[in-house]
Amino acid sequence: MSVSRIGSTSSIAEERLKIILVQDRSMLPPTKFEHVKEDVIDTIGNYFEINKADILLIIQRESKKTALEAIVPILSVKRKIR
Amino acid sequence: MGRTIVVTAGKGGVGKTTITANLGASLSKLGNKVVVVDMDIGLRNLDVVMGLENRVVYNIMDISDGKCKINQALVRDKHSPGLFLLPASQIHTKDDINIDKIVDIISTIESSFDYVLLDSPAGIEKGFESAAAPAKEALIIVTPDVSSVRDADRVIGILENRGILAIALIVNRYDYGLVRRKKMLNTDSIVDILGLDLIGMIPEDKMIIESNNRGELLANYANGSIANKAFENISRRIEGEDIPFLNFKPQGKGFFGLFRREE
Repeated sequence: MSVSRIGSTSSIAEERLKIILVQDRSMLPPTKFEHVKEDVIDTIGNYFEINKADILLIIQRESKKTALEAIVPILSVKRKIR
Repeated sequence: MGRTIVVTAGKGGVGKTTITANLGASLSKLGNKVVVVDMDIGLRNLDVVMGLENRVVYNIMDISDGKCKINQALVRDKHSPGLFLLPASQIHTKDDINIDKIVDIISTIESSFDYVLLDSPAGIEKGFESAAAPAKEALIIVTPDVSSVRDADRVIGILENRGILAIALIVNRYDYGLVRRKKMLNTDSIVDILGLDLIGMIPEDKMIIESNNRGELLANYANGSIANKAFENISRRIEGEDIPFLNFKPQGKGFFGLFRREE
């Protein structure tokens, strides 16, 4: 493609769209997000002793990245895995 | 048993009504019995696009309220004998819609027609829900711009969650010149981003404005126009034929936006 990027506004539109849609698609309705949270807590709880009330689960959105971030304080490691 | 297809977009003003009406005409020209249903309750427009505004007696809400039978509300098209319009009400709002009743009405109509095309209103609220509820398939209309594609993406997600998996894409108001000069999103990018099968591209065509002014459909009024050729091809693809996409490259001096198909 020999067209200079400066003149190619369609490429700019395409890039913007891709970023917008990653963000849009990662936004879950509140009930679904609760399910994700419960599943994460249950799975981690199989291996570590955790305090459910202290868990922080958020979706971080920056201009070009989206990430699911979970902060799970660990009280102890379980000997037997459930 | 007919096919019930919702024509929707999320975004307003992208051409849902114009496309529903013209596709209805093209499908009926192929020998099908078609009903186009205006689901924009309170803001009816399908009648106007088809030039049938003086022939509307009953509408879908009258059927729903038990004031008339389905047959009494159907308006036969002026030109195409196999094409019928089920108008929307102009006095109700979306809040008045009883979705279960709408589903029943469409289900009854389905059994006597080959195609039921549901013209969805813009948005993702009750109007859209009531248009999508009776549908088994969907046509998503986008124009080549960021807003339209973004909105379409959300609508596709909603439709898939409701179990409508037969979803195809129409790109409307395509401008070959702008796309070639990389000033307009091209169809491949849109198809890639949305992850849908493309069923057609409809070029910007001034005949659409003129036929709309007159309340005529391209299949009858401007049957040689490039947009009508696109509608014909889309109808044939809907019927299962494998038709190559039109090449919108202008022949010779493309003036007044008249594009001819490259032979």
